[in-house]
Amino acid sequence: MTSLKRSLASDPYASNISSKVYVRSTKSGKVQKIVQELYLRQDIPCSSRLCSSCLKTAPRDASGAQAPFVLSERPAGTKGYPQGHYLVPDTNALLNALDLFEQTSAFYDVIILQTVLEELRNRSLPLYNRLIGLTKSEEKRFYVFFNDFRLETYVVRDEGESINDRNDKAVRRAVKWYSEHLTQAVKSAGGSSKKVPAVVMLSDDKENLKKAKRDGIQACSLSDYVGGLENADQLLDMISVVKEGRELRDAKAAENLYQEYFSVSKMMTGVKNGTLHQGIFNVSPYNYLEGSIHVPAFDKSLLVLGRENINRAVQGDVVVVEVLPKDQWKEPSTKIIEEETINKDENADGEDGEAVVTERERRALQEEVRKVHSKGSEGRPQPTARVVGVVKRNWRQYVGHVDEASVSQSVKQGRKLQTVFLIPMDKRIPKIRVRTRQAGEIMGKRVLVTIDSWDRDSRYPVGHFVRSLGELETKGAETEALLLEYDVQYRPFPKAVLDCLPVEGHDWKVPESTEDPGWRGRRDLRGLQICSIDPIGCQDIDDALHARPLPNGNFEVGVHIADVSHFVKPNNAMDAEASIRGTTVYLVDKRIDMLPMLLGTDLCSLKPYVERYAFSAIWEITPDAEIVNSEFTKSVIKSREAFSYEQAQIRVDDASQQDELTKAMRTLLMLSKKFKQKRMDAGALSLSSPEVRVETESETSDPIDIKTKKHLDTMSLVEEFMLLANTSVAAKIYEAFPQTAMLRRHGAPPKTNFEELGNQLKVKRGLELRTSSSKELADSLDGCVDPKEPFFNTLVRIMATRCMMSAEYFCSGTQAYPEFRHYGLASEIYTHFTSPIRRYADLVAHRQLAAAIDYEPLDASVRSKGKLEAVCKNINVRHRNAQQAGRASIEYYVGQALKGRIVEEEGFVMKVFSNGFVVFVPRFGIESLIRLRDLADTEPESTFDAENYVLKTSGSREVEVELFEKVVVRISDVKEESTGKRKVKLELVKTGTK
Amino acid sequence: MAPSATQQVLLSPAELSYLHTSLSLTPPIRPDGRTPSQFRPLIAETDILPGTNGSARICFADGTEAIVGIKAEVEKSRPSYQASEDQNIAEDDDDEEDEDTRRSEKEAYQKKGLNEWVEMSVEIPGFRDDDSMPVFLAAMLSEALLADGEFTRRLWINRRFHWKLYLDILLLSQPLSYPLPLLSLTTHLALLSTRLPKLKSEQDEDPLFDDDWEASVFLYPRTMETIIARPPVTLLVMAVKDSIIFDPCKEELAVAEVVLAVSVGERSQGVGGAEMDVDSGKARDLRLLAVRTIDPPSRLTPPGVPNALNTATGGTAATAEQTSTQRETLDEEGVWQPPRGGAKRKLIAAMIHKVLEQGGVAEEVLDGLEAVELG
Repeated sequence: MTSLKRSLASDPYASNISSKVYVRSTKSGKVQKIVQELYLRQDIPCSSRLCSSCLKTAPRDASGAQAPFVLSERPAGTKGYPQGHYLVPDTNALLNALDLFEQTSAFYDVIILQTVLEELRNRSLPLYNRLIGLTKSEEKRFYVFFNDFRLETYVVRDEGESINDRNDKAVRRAVKWYSEHLTQAVKSAGGSSKKVPAVVMLSDDKENLKKAKRDGIQACSLSDYVGGLENADQLLDMISVVKEGRELRDAKAAENLYQEYFSVSKMMTGVKNGTLHQGIFNVSPYNYLEGSIHVPAFDKSLLVLGRENINRAVQGDVVVVEVLPKDQWKEPSTKIIEEETINKDENADGEDGEAVVTERERRALQEEVRKVHSKGSEGRPQPTARVVGVVKRNWRQYVGHVDEASVSQSVKQGRKLQTVFLIPMDKRIPKIRVRTRQAGEIMGKRVLVTIDSWDRDSRYPVGHFVRSLGELETKGAETEALLLEYDVQYRPFPKAVLDCLPVEGHDWKVPESTEDPGWRGRRDLRGLQICSIDPIGCQDIDDALHARPLPNGNFEVGVHIADVSHFVKPNNAMDAEASIRGTTVYLVDKRIDMLPMLLGTDLCSLKPYVERYAFSAIWEITPDAEIVNSEFTKSVIKSREAFSYEQAQIRVDDASQQDELTKAMRTLLMLSKKFKQKRMDAGALSLSSPEVRVETESETSDPIDIKTKKHLDTMSLVEEFMLLANTSVAAKIYEAFPQTAMLRRHGAPPKTNFEELGNQLKVKRGLELRTSSSKELADSLDGCVDPKEPFFNTLVRIMATRCMMSAEYFCSGTQAYPEFRHYGLASEIYTHFTSPIRRYADLVAHRQLAAAIDYEPLDASVRSKGKLEAVCKNINVRHRNAQQAGRASIEYYVGQALKGRIVEEEGFVMKVFSNGFVVFVPRFGIESLIRLRDLADTEPESTFDAENYVLKTSGSREVEVELFEKVVVRISDVKEESTGKRKVKLELVKTGTK
Repeated sequence: MAPSATQQVLLSPAELSYLHTSLSLTPPIRPDGRTPSQFRPLIAETDILPGTNGSARICFADGTEAIVGIKAEVEKSRPSYQASEDQNIAEDDDDEEDEDTRRSEKEAYQKKGLNEWVEMSVEIPGFRDDDSMPVFLAAMLSEALLADGEFTRRLWINRRFHWKLYLDILLLSQPLSYPLPLLSLTTHLALLSTRLPKLKSEQDEDPLFDDDWEASVFLYPRTMETIIARPPVTLLVMAVKDSIIFDPCKEELAVAEVVLAVSVGERSQGVGGAEMDVDSGKARDLRLLAVRTIDPPSRLTPPGVPNALNTATGGTAATAEQTSTQRETLDEEGVWQPPRGGAKRKLIAAMIHKVLEQGGVAEEVLDGLEAVELG
């Protein structure tokens, strides 16, 4: 018998065909062998401006245009490479120090190999996205070279070679090819060999460096390379410390402080079986040692108590937990535990005697346990759990400041490398251990850090310093810190986005001739008496109104919304940017726009006295506020006046004003009151959240005063008609696109959310909170009044609001119709339509409505359920972040406004713990914690009656604090040690009546 | 079963008679001049289908050609009532026994596979998949594969999961001769080249595999040079009178009196066995897995008419009834008579012996297949 193996050599195309074989496991548990054929090409350019041969062969797109070459012909040199150099980092270099590459002082002309890019994507998606961002920025000159598709740089994996070795080999091959190719290119251009830039491989892998040396490739470790740069000290800090640290520890064979995580397969099996549970880890804002995790299997969240059980999970991580045996179940703590008070004087460098649970922590926990036990059967211990693995880390960059206590005095000035603790602004994030040479410099500054790793033998995560934002408490630094903390995109719009703006700029006008294509399908509403009503100083006016009586006694009411979709076409750069930003963010002194200024405050904004494109919803409404019919149309309007709420109110109230515009506003006001009544009858909730406004000096925008927002009738006028417009549009687009309409829902809160509040009301006031429907809730909230205390009702509403779910955008095809309900508004269906300048969801709704009225065809991007879902997910997050950023900004400014002042104010007790209580001060909209130890110099003894929410103290100071009680507090400002924020500090002056 | 469609041999009774006579000589003279146990040359290669877990192609000199592709899928095992019961019994067993051995025993027991974990389909051009020929061939091939119960054990992943193996056997050419040996040899090679992704998870967890194909393990694990165990092969043996002939071609089958499909497996050699064989070198520990008699196509050939019954040669033509009775007794040299009756036990024993004996045909075939370079 003879055997034969077909040899590849007989195939004429063999040299440029290769294949890649790997095993893919699908989610459903299938395991497939995947074979990919690779067709290797020779026309992938090196993209160096030195090279003319690649320029000739580089592929062109359909219009014959060629991608411009990226790498500079005269790259920067360093000491080691005076002739100039291109950098080729390997995956580890990027993983360890991507922050370095984002620097503007160095790291230009970088070649990112496809091999490296793909490996990075597998290892860390956030880093990958950041790198992609870098490759897109033109000034950094990053070029992605598809080395695995180019014939000369493709390498085959040898037998028995690990994939990492193969990738390293590919990197070395590409570096080699590049340097040969460039030498050739320079030579053929007649240049001297001195002009050839060096191609330098950056790697932290010793083996790789060694092999590079053997192959005669220029290579360098990151720290060596950075050492040769100008501002080496600063840059060196940005290299992740993972490696050194680990080597150090290995030598010491430190004991492990935390339990090892389960293997991935064990976790997967457990989660599938239901013995383990997966969810997002949340840390309690009051107690950093208490986390909770909501898992689909249970209604209530599982508690994760103590450092050992939290087992290195960080706020936001997707973790897998195991439920602990029943004897370890506990009650959620009624005690405030803050990291800084317990672990105050730790030495960051000290490795010895490090236990996971410090003595103090242990004592704090013991007290907890004792309390649970003393309660005996009455206490309701909750199931607790232990983290056994992390599925996905959600680490981001954290803003914080250096713990001064951890910096040793002697080196404050020096350049010595030392380890310091960084205290993140977000209290839920543990301290981060950072090694730095610039401890002296970054002290007292807001800094940005990244967590690199958290090993079993380290009590705190290890991270590295990214950059300094500026001095603590300077406006610039604090604002940037806020934006970073809430992940708000605040960079200026890139050129690609600005290119999408109309070329006329501010001179753009509605075309005069109605024959113009811009007029197609638009109704001419320029003759109507339209006006807009907005807060003072509003520049981005996205809504305007009109009303006029009809001959039959009914009214015609129109809501006109800025026609943003006319300017922002789907799928261009501006649309992409807007969909990422999702919403405009309002800070006290700053607005971060979703759309470029030109559109937001001029072309789209429905400014008075000029003609603007609009999207109008027009109803015929009876005097009893019944809608007879409604229609939607694109239009051209000319607003007669832009009122502020106050101006409008004055004008309406002034009986001498009898002009058409004022009359129309009175009509609108009359109708809006009827609409509101109807809504309330249907069970809409009037909820409350503390709202204050910071008045700032116009020049410096320093805060001068804080005012609670006044409520005016004209506000609810606008609100009612916006609600009406939103609801009608929602119905219309749902009818047209039942699967893909962009809607907004507000889920009914689960009953358990109100348990606590209901119980508190019952015990303290004998009031009942009925929560079976929004109508019931609205009625019972109306009943929650204290005749002696008018603010009590608002306080309850504020607390009730916190029990609610948050409203969310969704795509109609993903939910059943009954789930569309907006609980708070008691509306069957709802969307956002009225603020397209500042919300992306409204823009999508605009596009869908335009398609629903056959104005234009529906773009594919708003027709695909998958894409819409992704958009919804993003804008939900952005929306929440924007709200939080806005609130945090107000909080900061309130602190600044009160700086140096001491005020006594009335407040209300919102929450009582066993060692403190939370007081809410309506005048400033602030709430703050008063700890028992703040009451007197020595902490008074206390007894806490959890059943009746009463905290009694005795000893050094005798007070009795109970829930909902009115107290007088002294407000002063203080810089919070833990977060470096200036915050208001409350001191109890006297308790209410008793 | 008569492998009918293959056997439309267009030979006259005289030609058949001639063939029969020359084959029954000692040594028999075969139409293509081979010795009785000589195989036709073949061309074989493995790993020809990159998308499969294992594949092979064999091309016989007569132009018949087959491809086998093997795909494996992870499947959840049915919870077996039997297994859980046995486990209980095992646990109740005498506790003196060493914990370790007991566990390994238990494991070995649990590793038992089920025949349904292998699915085989044979496709032959011109046949529907429910025609008797492909069904019968598939049955014979899987019978040989599953006969010793060892094979499915290789598909065991853990107590909750197993591999399901799909063997797709495809005859590319027309079935010129009975394709069983071709298909069997191709399947054999394909199984040898079959690799399964390497398991990373432990014990009864949901299986998790190494994504590196290079790390995958062979279904039939091999040491540096040799393969420890091999899949079975099924050989076709025929006899004419007393001559036993291997790898019969189409014409030879047309005059065969007995046709046997003999499935032979190689017992996996333990450490002790290997030591014993040190000096004897290549001796194999063969075992018989299955024997099937195959209805030879010769039964359907038209009989020759002896002169005595031929009017043209002065004989007297008999009625149909008479003919059949006369044929019973007729044994005239040179007149073709389709074989009747079954095979003699002695003959079958001799045929099997010839396959299995040391230095016999099975060994030769296995040696030959071993020479095929595995991808």
